[in-house]
Amino acid sequence: MKILLGVFRKDINYYVVQDNGIVLTETDPADTYLPNYASVKLRDMMINSDQSVKDGDGVFDFRYGPVTSGVGEAGIYHLYTYGERILSVSIDLSYKHRNIQNRMVGLDLKSGLKMAESICGNFAFSHSLAFSKAVESAIGVNVDSKSQRLRIIALELERIYNHLYVIYQLAQTASQKVLTSHLSYLFEESLRLNKKISGSRYLKNFNDIGGIKNFDEKTLQDLKTDVQKIVNEFKDLYEWALESGNFLDRLYSTAILKSSDAMSLGITGPTLRASGIREDLRYNDPAYENLNIPIKEEGDALSRMEVRAEEIFESQRIIFNQIENFDAEINAETTEKGFGYCESPSGTMVYKIDLESQNISDVYIATPSLFAFKGIANSLVGNIFTDFQFAVESFGVNFADAAL
Amino acid sequence: MKWWPTKGMKRFLTEMDNYPSKATVKSMNIFKRSIHIYTIDVGNSNLLNFEIKALQSAQYNTHRFGIYFADSPRHADLLIVLGSPTKNMIEPLMNTIEQMPKPFGILIVEENDEMDLELPNVVGRLKNPEPSDILGAILKIMERN
Repeated sequence: MKILLGVFRKDINYYVVQDNGIVLTETDPADTYLPNYASVKLRDMMINSDQSVKDGDGVFDFRYGPVTSGVGEAGIYHLYTYGERILSVSIDLSYKHRNIQNRMVGLDLKSGLKMAESICGNFAFSHSLAFSKAVESAIGVNVDSKSQRLRIIALELERIYNHLYVIYQLAQTASQKVLTSHLSYLFEESLRLNKKISGSRYLKNFNDIGGIKNFDEKTLQDLKTDVQKIVNEFKDLYEWALESGNFLDRLYSTAILKSSDAMSLGITGPTLRASGIREDLRYNDPAYENLNIPIKEEGDALSRMEVRAEEIFESQRIIFNQIENFDAEINAETTEKGFGYCESPSGTMVYKIDLESQNISDVYIATPSLFAFKGIANSLVGNIFTDFQFAVESFGVNFADAAL
Repeated sequence: MKWWPTKGMKRFLTEMDNYPSKATVKSMNIFKRSIHIYTIDVGNSNLLNFEIKALQSAQYNTHRFGIYFADSPRHADLLIVLGSPTKNMIEPLMNTIEQMPKPFGILIVEENDEMDLELPNVVGRLKNPEPSDILGAILKIMERN
């Protein structure tokens, strides 16, 4: 089960591959992930620009973005519709392109870390963690156990607020006014909790290369009750939401992504697990114990919401586990030199960094959102326009993360 | 037992000075009773979009101040520009500003980079704000705090 996540070139092509919870580089591609190769290699800012069903009598290019309240971010969806049915979708990422990979070359490590955090605000900690893991393995720094546990806690906090946000957006799209208000409240509470722990609502400037310093361990007990409160409230809401027929009707069998398509497109994270594939980087990390990460089979918007909701409960369990064992030693996961990755809320985040006298001489970044946009384009085919918002929101991705 | 006959009632019970703002903004008091806002993302890291979503959450309850979020720039009194523009977004931004009905104001909200586009009618500029800072600035523009 190999998933191709990136291709970068030194003297020959290197392939970044995820395989059963590990990310590694290979030099010769196996046939299984070749369908993905061309788009990964080119890193085109236009997804599906060569779709064949664009033209024809009555086919209308529904251009959605970059300035519209429906999309919210700077990017364009071209929906090619015939009547109501969507025939194909192409997505233009270039409006968010900030040329970050090139701008990062030549920076020192501190400003590199800062730039990694500002690629995508809501995955700031995942970016920061993957970046610092890559640098640590390149210069050979050992991270102490407490910092490792704090990093796991922060990563799960990020997962909680991102998943809450996705379900909040889905509820809003389905006009579930009461659920939306309650979830918006929990979303803001989780951001305030982040600030209490790290000093930043989006866990920025918290992680550092070599570990997390200046952390007051007394706040961990408060954290436990705060997380418990948010997750308990969410649990009640989620149980009520699953009883609401007209909410479920909008999600069930909307924007189905088949597991074979998900694999060949390079999709990771909750979206892949909602298509029935057991794949998560946390499985292979010795720091996690007794993982029970949810998997659903259908691959529709409802499955993706279920996976995210149940991951919130799992995140709470992981945070509690880490706080209880806070003083115990753990073994760090070893990675290839200059290679760092982590399971972000929406999938695998990979950094490949080469250093030259403490400066970044080369960097390759693979983010989950780029692949998920291909998944959105794939899953929307055959649906109608009113399903569009559910498809986009249920993948939980954004242009800032996809267009580096 | 009613408490307000003895303790007294202010007219806006829920609008005590909760959101003071230190930002320097130009006030537009014609929008004192209601203001409609359109937000445009021109290339921020999605963090500011999240802050705007958080501002619409139950804790802030912006409707009590008469602050509404419009779905089109043609319905808006205040344009909030999020981030500093990428090359491709400059033209859509200028087109959006052309669509705003007069009088209108522009509130620039930035992250790390500074924007120097010489936009018209800029009423304020915030850097790395939290939702309460954005709300405070809007209330100051409305002359409500």
